[in-house]
Amino acid sequence: MASVSFKNIEKSFGKIKIIHGISFDIADGEFVVLVGPSGCGKSTLLRMLAGLEEISDGEIAIDDRVINELDSKDRDIAMVFQSYALYPHMTVRDNMAFSLKLRKADAELTNKRVGDAARILNLDPLLDRFPRELSGGQRQRVAMGRAIVRDPKVFLFDEPLSNLDAKLRVAMRAEIKALHQRLKTTTVYVTHDQIEAMTMADRIVVMNDGIIEQIGTPLELFDHPGNLFVAQFIGSPAMNVFKGTLRQRDGRAWVEAQGHQWPAGATSTGVDGQAVHYGVRPGDIGITAAGQGIAAKVFVVEPTGAETELVLKVGEMTFTVVLHGRTAVSPDDIVGLQIDAAKVHLFDEDSGKRLD
Amino acid sequence: MKRITLKSVTTEAKLLLIGIPVLLWTIIPIYHMVLFAISPRDQATSGRLWPKNPTLDNFAFVFRQKHFYLEHFWTQLGNSLVIALSVGILTLAISTMAAFAISRLKVRGGRTVMNLALFTYCIPAAFLAVPMYKTMGNYGLLNSQWALILAMVTIASPYCIWVLKQASDKLPYELDEAARMDGATALQLFRLVYLPLMVPSLVAVGTYALLLAWNEYLYAFLLLSNDASLTLAVALGNFLSADDSPWELLMTTGLIYAMPPAAIYYTFKRYMVSGLTAGAVKS
Repeated sequence: MASVSFKNIEKSFGKIKIIHGISFDIADGEFVVLVGPSGCGKSTLLRMLAGLEEISDGEIAIDDRVINELDSKDRDIAMVFQSYALYPHMTVRDNMAFSLKLRKADAELTNKRVGDAARILNLDPLLDRFPRELSGGQRQRVAMGRAIVRDPKVFLFDEPLSNLDAKLRVAMRAEIKALHQRLKTTTVYVTHDQIEAMTMADRIVVMNDGIIEQIGTPLELFDHPGNLFVAQFIGSPAMNVFKGTLRQRDGRAWVEAQGHQWPAGATSTGVDGQAVHYGVRPGDIGITAAGQGIAAKVFVVEPTGAETELVLKVGEMTFTVVLHGRTAVSPDDIVGLQIDAAKVHLFDEDSGKRLD
Repeated sequence: MKRITLKSVTTEAKLLLIGIPVLLWTIIPIYHMVLFAISPRDQATSGRLWPKNPTLDNFAFVFRQKHFYLEHFWTQLGNSLVIALSVGILTLAISTMAAFAISRLKVRGGRTVMNLALFTYCIPAAFLAVPMYKTMGNYGLLNSQWALILAMVTIASPYCIWVLKQASDKLPYELDEAARMDGATALQLFRLVYLPLMVPSLVAVGTYALLLAWNEYLYAFLLLSNDASLTLAVALGNFLSADDSPWELLMTTGLIYAMPPAAIYYTFKRYMVSGLTAGAVKS
């Protein structure tokens, strides 16, 4: 178990700088997810922590010990790769025991560790098989087993579930989370899938273009996105966002857009007449009969059982609304939108920063 | 049961149309060799499709070294074997390490070295025979089998490095990274991960180098001159130095000489087409 800290980390490939001074700390036993679109530098950051990429500038420390110049093998970390990277010529048992074999651990300890890991991951019956004889999910578990056997200070996961089908992904997600709750090993997990990030993380680090957009718990990011990027990246279906003009008078606030007045909470940082992005989550919009609220035309109805997703049009703008339960509306109906002003997010149009 | 369709029949027919001439083309010379080898001396050139009284006497002649040209048959066969094996092993060692360094360790300048090595093939080996002779003379290696071994390793290595480099590139790089994180040094990576996965390519490349040396005539002819240190290939050539060559013995010896390569090929055939890396990573 260990804490990890990043201090002003920069990374350049030749002349192209892809990480621009990143600093944050990970507490002992924490499950941190790095999330962002592809090319945002999250994998590179992880690989720098792993020792697979050189650190161009800044310091990475594990337990207050700077590890910049340390070889991967001396950092006491284990990594699970997206492609599993199992040794194809070794059995599951040998794959898991490989790191201990390299350390010349005695056979008894090796057997015990491999046995324990196999039990945790239900790999007992597969120990003598080769990777080519396993399914995707089983291979993924072997890759995790290989990491567990090491009993490292930090676990690293590099998009470990991207190669699995949707159903298996959900199952493995729960398994990884359960594993972390059991082992309490500090974990850094990289993914581009915000749902994975939301469901698994203690804290999420949202990255974009080599910088950190926001760090916070899943619900903090969901309820109080610090800027437009985070607002649009976190949450599924994505937040409805459009441009408008902020009006603030006598402690009352609204946004003018598309010829309507959209309700908003009064802000202390916004000023009357400011150009803003108006954002509201699909789940925070209610539907009423036509004539009340803002009139919208139903475009598509997508029932998923527990929820119903509606695609609506206000003028030329498309809106997504998620209703709990079922609804009687059908395409081309006119309905009214009800928006709770307290649930509205406002962002400055130029900087994208949240207005509170 | 497989259904027979018009399409499958025509495909089969086309394959046969190509296959039969190719088969004949390959088989006929070998057939003539066999014909010579089992004919008594006076019937060797009779022009019959099968000799009137086939005999294995010629083989007995060769094995008992009962001819002027065959005085050192066993020694020369041994020479060929030792030289071919040495070349195979040396080439394998050199090119495997080179390919590992270039492809996996990504040594700076590795690609340049490989390209320069490949560039040597722009000059035909025959052109280099005389300079090579001179060089070996400078080092006092003439008439030593080391001269031929070193020359053949030089000729075989660039191609082998290139083939192994291509094969290495296909191994997923994550395996190296995983091994490094597991605590492997470069040497452990080479021994425990790289070599086992490269076995099919290593067998193919080793066989190539071995057969290249086994079949070599020109360099063996130039660099070795003592009868007892010759390879069998050169000894076979010497059969033709007289007007009255013993064709049936030449062909018999040739047939014997052709056996080991065929045996090697059939032994290692399965290695040359196998997917040992299946299951390493999701593709």
